Amino acid sequence: MKKKLLAVLLATTMVMGLAACGSGNSGSSESSGSASTPAAEESQAPADEEAAPAEEAAGGEEAAASTSDDPWADAWADVDTSEHVVISYMTTGDAPTQTKERYEEMMAKLNEILTERVNAELDIYFIPWTDYLSNYNLTLARMDGTVDLVGTASDWLDAWPNAKNGAFLELSEEMLQKYAPKTWASVPAENWELCKYNGDIYLMPEDNYAQWTNHGFAYRLDWAKEAGLEDGVHSWEDMTTYFHYIREAYPDIIPWDSDGTQYGQMSGGWISSHSDYVSIDGINSGAMWGGKRSDLYTVYSPYMTDTDSLIEYAKMMKEWDEMGVWRTDVLNNTSSTNRDDFRVGKVAAEQHHTQTWTGLVSHTENNTIYQTDEDADVGFFYFGEESGNVTALNITHGAMAVSAGSANPERALMVYDLIRNDPDIYMLFNYGIQGISWDLDENGMKITPEGYNPDTDNIAGTVNFWWGRNDDLEIKDATMNWDRIDELYAEYDKIKIPYPYGQFIPDVTSIDAYISNINEVFENYMKQISFGKYKGTAEEIVAEFQSALEAAGINEVTAELQRQFDELYK
Amino acid sequence: MKQRKSELTFFQKVVRSRTLLLMCLPAVIFFFAFNYMPLPGIWVAFVKYNYRNGIFGSQFIGLDNFKFLMTSGKLLELTRNTVLYNLVFIVLGNFLAVFVAILLNEMQSKYFKKVSQTIMFLPYFISQVLVGILVFNLLNYDTGFVNGILTSLGFERWQPYAEAGVWPVILVIVYLWQQTGYNSVVYFAAIMGIDGEIIEAAKVDGANGFQKIRYIILPSLKGTIVILLLFALGGIVKGNFGLFYNVVGSNPMLYPTTDIIETYVYRSTMVDFNFSRASAVGLYQSVIGFVIVMTVNYIVKKIEPDYSLF
Repeated sequence: MKKKLLAVLLATTMVMGLAACGSGNSGSSESSGSASTPAAEESQAPADEEAAPAEEAAGGEEAAASTSDDPWADAWADVDTSEHVVISYMTTGDAPTQTKERYEEMMAKLNEILTERVNAELDIYFIPWTDYLSNYNLTLARMDGTVDLVGTASDWLDAWPNAKNGAFLELSEEMLQKYAPKTWASVPAENWELCKYNGDIYLMPEDNYAQWTNHGFAYRLDWAKEAGLEDGVHSWEDMTTYFHYIREAYPDIIPWDSDGTQYGQMSGGWISSHSDYVSIDGINSGAMWGGKRSDLYTVYSPYMTDTDSLIEYAKMMKEWDEMGVWRTDVLNNTSSTNRDDFRVGKVAAEQHHTQTWTGLVSHTENNTIYQTDEDADVGFFYFGEESGNVTALNITHGAMAVSAGSANPERALMVYDLIRNDPDIYMLFNYGIQGISWDLDENGMKITPEGYNPDTDNIAGTVNFWWGRNDDLEIKDATMNWDRIDELYAEYDKIKIPYPYGQFIPDVTSIDAYISNINEVFENYMKQISFGKYKGTAEEIVAEFQSALEAAGINEVTAELQRQFDELYK
Repeated sequence: MKQRKSELTFFQKVVRSRTLLLMCLPAVIFFFAFNYMPLPGIWVAFVKYNYRNGIFGSQFIGLDNFKFLMTSGKLLELTRNTVLYNLVFIVLGNFLAVFVAILLNEMQSKYFKKVSQTIMFLPYFISQVLVGILVFNLLNYDTGFVNGILTSLGFERWQPYAEAGVWPVILVIVYLWQQTGYNSVVYFAAIMGIDGEIIEAAKVDGANGFQKIRYIILPSLKGTIVILLLFALGGIVKGNFGLFYNVVGSNPMLYPTTDIIETYVYRSTMVDFNFSRASAVGLYQSVIGFVIVMTVNYIVKKIEPDYSLF
């Protein structure tokens, strides 16, 4: 208790310090701010005529050419921006170290533009990856105005629990129309519906960005071919064959240097591959409840019903463990750098999502496997491939919210609207300064400029703006392997179903004590099962797992979810 | 002494001991600010906490937050593990600390005394995270130091990270390695405080080294030992999270013998970030700790009133 309070006290002191710095800043830039206001008013007149067509173009190439005629001026004409404010944007991610210089240059340029446009500055509040969820929630719980814009997600960043806990501001339609006009116009009404809880909008969804975050194994296609898998790995059994071959042919390579945290993704992947289960997001990290493609609105947990399949899974994972796919002490292995090792050819597989694979399959400078081995190629076995069971992302997989503790929610919305929809600001913020961190080639694709050093100049992705990326403004990266990526995306598009439970926001008040205990049971047993570390037979461990789930109250949770489902969908 | 004081008025007493009171003030303010002012916050354990409504504006839900501890069916095992580990830590820790303090006291070479004291003290400054990494590097199966030695001597590899049974021993060793040097300082100071004349007199009477320890040093340490034990007992239901979390990690194979209340609560509430429930657990631990301290203090008071806390 004492320590906690001391920490809070220290934090408060620090915040005061920061606040002091902030006000100093705003004081110094006051003059530039007030100077720019008349300029904005001047540009208002021509913008009036242009407002309609500019709206239509919504940031297309044509709009890029005419950004000087501020299409926002109309909507914001009577907004009082005389006070210079600092908007703090919270995102998960590590603050840049090696690329700090480029990052600061970018931010300085950005803030110059933002000051001119809306008399505000942006400050990024990074939540480092270590223990990100607790730090993220803790920062939100402070409610002291530390953050204004909050990057969030309904499936991996507790968006709904936080909305229910009162951390997010309700965004009224008038507010959105007034302060975030472009975002309001670009998100269709049915998507806004999915951002509502109890009738109020809390989130601004990233709904115009194509991405696939379904998990699977990235593996070396060239090695799979050597192993006799001519068209690559397409099932869990193929994966076993592949790992067997790697152990024999490349004894120095750890097939997959896992850190023991992927147990839930693997078991979930196995279930997708062997059933038509569709999980409900945002109940617990194991995504243990859902429906079937053939019967979407009957809630069940495959961990209770698919016993034979789980036994088969447990057996296969035991085989993998005995074969040496991962280190013997995988459950205590905290220092794994598997993805980087994969890039340089020290491991043979990486379990993550499609988006990660798109990076690995591309011949970028980081991926030295392509430089050292000209046959190198990376394939992707996605979970659900055998059964054709792939579900598209929920649009609230990335969304922006405004903190209820924000002192300037209106200005925060304005800044967000600009970053999300203004081409110049968007590219500056997401890619860095053109000509230094990136450039365009003759096909309009993104390339690296002359004298570019990836270690110090690459700030694409530093700001992790995963809460408002916009395909209208994205520039395709010329170094990416688009043939292969588009091929896989096309395959997904053929088999996918849209996420069916977007409107379902579970109310877990009466069951969250059960869910806590179920989380614990799931972690305990699934770690042992997924890494083949259990004692006794597969049948025994699965039976034990299921009876522990039952004791923890899984049937009560299923029944309650079904009741809420019936209320919503029937 | 006592009688004369009671003749003075309260104000006179304050004036008379103003210097002492002034010296006390920082400690009083500290404890008031950090231990008494937050007390009303206990209320958070009984509400469904909402950020915007605050602790006292949130909805009252009675004992619901305590329910999950009960329904987990693990409370007993967790409390047992926590209490047993702490008992071993307290008993062995203090025993070893006294032992080391006496050894240090008996050392003749001043130089050697200082060096050994420093070396024993150093592990205390190593962070638990590093200790966890050290232990992993010593014991892991594939590249561990111990297994390196075992294989080069022709023995079979040992896999402690899959064997729950050995962890109580490992954890106690790690704890003692880290804490003994620090704990012995208190006892060492207490030994230093023993009146030199008594020891002189004993020497004149022909007492040997062991007799000196048995009849003079140990009895003089009794008060210190009892008080330190009493303090430690208050925290007997509070596990050493840093040690357990970092050394054991989240390896479910080892939980039967290494899971304590703190690590369990950390794992099960990390996911949904529930302040109220975490406070409920804290309150549960504090209440039990309070009961234990009161009971033990009562017993001590019956036997030897001088050594009781109050």
